[in-house]
Amino acid sequence: MFRYDGYAGKWLWVDLTHGKLETREYDPALAENYLGGNGFGTRLLWENTGPQTDALSPENWLIFSTGPLCGTTVPNPGRMEVIAKSPLTGIYGDANSGGFLGPELKFAGWDAVVVTGQSPGPVYLTIADEQVTLRDAGHLWGQTTYKTEEAIRQSWGDPSVKTAIIGPAGENLVRFAGIQITPQRSAARCGLGAVMGSKRLKAIAVRGRGPIHIADPKRLHDLSLNLQQRLRANAIFPAVSAHGTPGIVSLMNALGRFPTQNFRAGGYEHADRINADALHARAFVRNVACFGCPIACDKVYQIPDGPLAGTSLRSVEYETLNAFGACILNDNLDALLAANRLCDELGLDTISTGRSISFAMELWDEEILNLDDTGGLPLRWGDMDVVLRLLPMIARREGFGNLLAEGVRRMAEVIGRGADQFAMHVKGMEIPGQDGRAQRSMGLAHVTSTRGADHLKAFPTIDETGFPDEGRRRYGDQYLPELVQPLATKYKAFLVKDGEDFGAVIDSTGMCKSGGTFVLAEIYWPDIAAAIEAATGMSMSVQRLQEIGERIYNLQRCYDAVHGITRADDRLPRRFLEEPSPTGNAKGHTIDIEPMLEEYYQLRGWDAVKGWPTADTLRRLGLPDAAERLPFAPGGDPSSPLPWGAKITGLPQGKGDPTGWH
Amino acid sequence: MHLETAADKCTGCRICENFCALQHEGAVWPARARIRVLTQSDDGPFTPNVCRQCEDPACAAACPVDAIQSDPGTGTWVVNEECTGCESCIDACPYDAIFFAAQGGVAFKCDLCQGEPQCAVSCPTGAVTWVQ
Repeated sequence: MFRYDGYAGKWLWVDLTHGKLETREYDPALAENYLGGNGFGTRLLWENTGPQTDALSPENWLIFSTGPLCGTTVPNPGRMEVIAKSPLTGIYGDANSGGFLGPELKFAGWDAVVVTGQSPGPVYLTIADEQVTLRDAGHLWGQTTYKTEEAIRQSWGDPSVKTAIIGPAGENLVRFAGIQITPQRSAARCGLGAVMGSKRLKAIAVRGRGPIHIADPKRLHDLSLNLQQRLRANAIFPAVSAHGTPGIVSLMNALGRFPTQNFRAGGYEHADRINADALHARAFVRNVACFGCPIACDKVYQIPDGPLAGTSLRSVEYETLNAFGACILNDNLDALLAANRLCDELGLDTISTGRSISFAMELWDEEILNLDDTGGLPLRWGDMDVVLRLLPMIARREGFGNLLAEGVRRMAEVIGRGADQFAMHVKGMEIPGQDGRAQRSMGLAHVTSTRGADHLKAFPTIDETGFPDEGRRRYGDQYLPELVQPLATKYKAFLVKDGEDFGAVIDSTGMCKSGGTFVLAEIYWPDIAAAIEAATGMSMSVQRLQEIGERIYNLQRCYDAVHGITRADDRLPRRFLEEPSPTGNAKGHTIDIEPMLEEYYQLRGWDAVKGWPTADTLRRLGLPDAAERLPFAPGGDPSSPLPWGAKITGLPQGKGDPTGWH
Repeated sequence: MHLETAADKCTGCRICENFCALQHEGAVWPARARIRVLTQSDDGPFTPNVCRQCEDPACAAACPVDAIQSDPGTGTWVVNEECTGCESCIDACPYDAIFFAAQGGVAFKCDLCQGEPQCAVSCPTGAVTWVQ
């Protein structure tokens, strides 16, 4: 038995090169210092990969990792992390998904699955409790995620098997391919689907029937019930439960924080055609929850009539409504939903896919791209016929889709001609649906995120619209009112740092950041510390938990640092710094990131010149090995080479199969 | 007093299963839950399914050793230690609401938590309620 309850106590090591599967004991010290989930993956990635590792080579590690609260009775415990070096950014990469797969893996008796090497041919992994098997996936290769899951469940003879699957996008090494989780949900960002594709692993399928042991069942029961009651009494619970993330479309639009036309603006005149009310009226079928979630922000949608009648899908999120709506000037909701469904089938991250398209549309508008470049496709704003044609081309790297499949940063490099001034990314990651001009903390969060432009690392929610009660509850009166004012910069470094540390912990427990922790801002450090104690029996103070969060986040920054990331990379695109926002609350505003960044480095104990953790900080956090490795980092090019080994000099021509393999 | 289920309110979150198992097994263990959320698809609809506490239960009638008895305190039907694991009750129940534990080799079923059913206590949507 493992020293701590809450854990399965072992993880599965998969060497695809040699077709070997091995059971590894979970290291108690890893649990004590990194919890699990995100922390477990960060530590393993740090120890086993580095600047010498090509993200799409057999040497990359692909880590599926649950945490000690995943699959327990605490609210929203259905989350699992996937961690690898990212082929999109060339630095630290992770993605997270809800659903049922994480808990199922634990019921099967595994805390994590670590995939290394590269299979000679397509395979999928089945896990039926203790029985683990690699199976031929030749017949599944090329199939969509939905068809693949259906086939796996049919051959298994069990319709309740839980899966992680890549679509054609992952197989063809699209740099922003996601991993679909029982296909309705997605571990979408950082291109981890391409990592899975490079390993020729089509899917992981899991069935678990065992227990998750609990150290103090009575305490966990009472605490779980109390947390659920607090969530249900939370002022915004009804809205989040009724509409999920689409519920904030109208609000963000009014604030000027709803990226429109590739971030030219922060508000869209037709936002009411793609907001929560429009979505609900058009296509709502029923509420559906992830494992153990009292909120059920997910919904089943189906288009009832018209040319796209019958299109059904789940998890229509704010981000996708933005990426395939306002950001490309599309107000056709049916077509938007069809694009969302198609991305799920092909295994594409809707954010980066949408952003690559909106970037191309702006370049078309600016006459930087023409018909010769696009293979005869006009890229007019809002033209959904073209968008729906482009998605399979991206996933299969056909024609102009082959360039889009590289993501915004590489597109700008290939196209040249001043394209980079419209390239909306940070460290190679496409910027999601926020705008730092309208919310200063988000601007800072985008640059300090360890996986490139991202809202979910710091996830500053309490100053989106100003939640003084939440601000007071969490931090006391002393930071008000500035802390909750979207356009104020004061205290935002503090808010972002706290969010990053807390988020690293949440992602390491297996709980959800869209649930009670960040979106409702109800569950906080003391609740998590108590839940870990009750579930695992590990002694856990708030201070110790905060140190764990800091340790994980600093180690991710170290991983980026050895890949050459410095303060010079912690910057927003030119547009946010120079072009005043034209609409909403933020009208007339640009963002100056530097004073916040300066304060942030100070709070973190990082060197303000390089933007790296100092040796003292690393020693304080128990990371002496990082302190040793950091000053001698070779640095170098943070981007990994193209999969087919060529340097990009012109537009890639119709490479349907960049691996040259099947 | 009985458990009432409302399928139209069920979101498929399985909180009822988790609290049920925690109560009875001291572990989160859906395979040992006495209540089960049934569905044909991940997208629902979902139906919480639990013992009806029948007046004249088929499970008890089918048991060759009379191991399913009405608890004198609560009036609920419970499986006692006489159970031999023959699974006759499982075949007999028309609601699929009594189960077989592979580990241990005996039948198990809902005992209404001796008066405070945790499925109803924990259900966030009112899909399972305890009607007094």
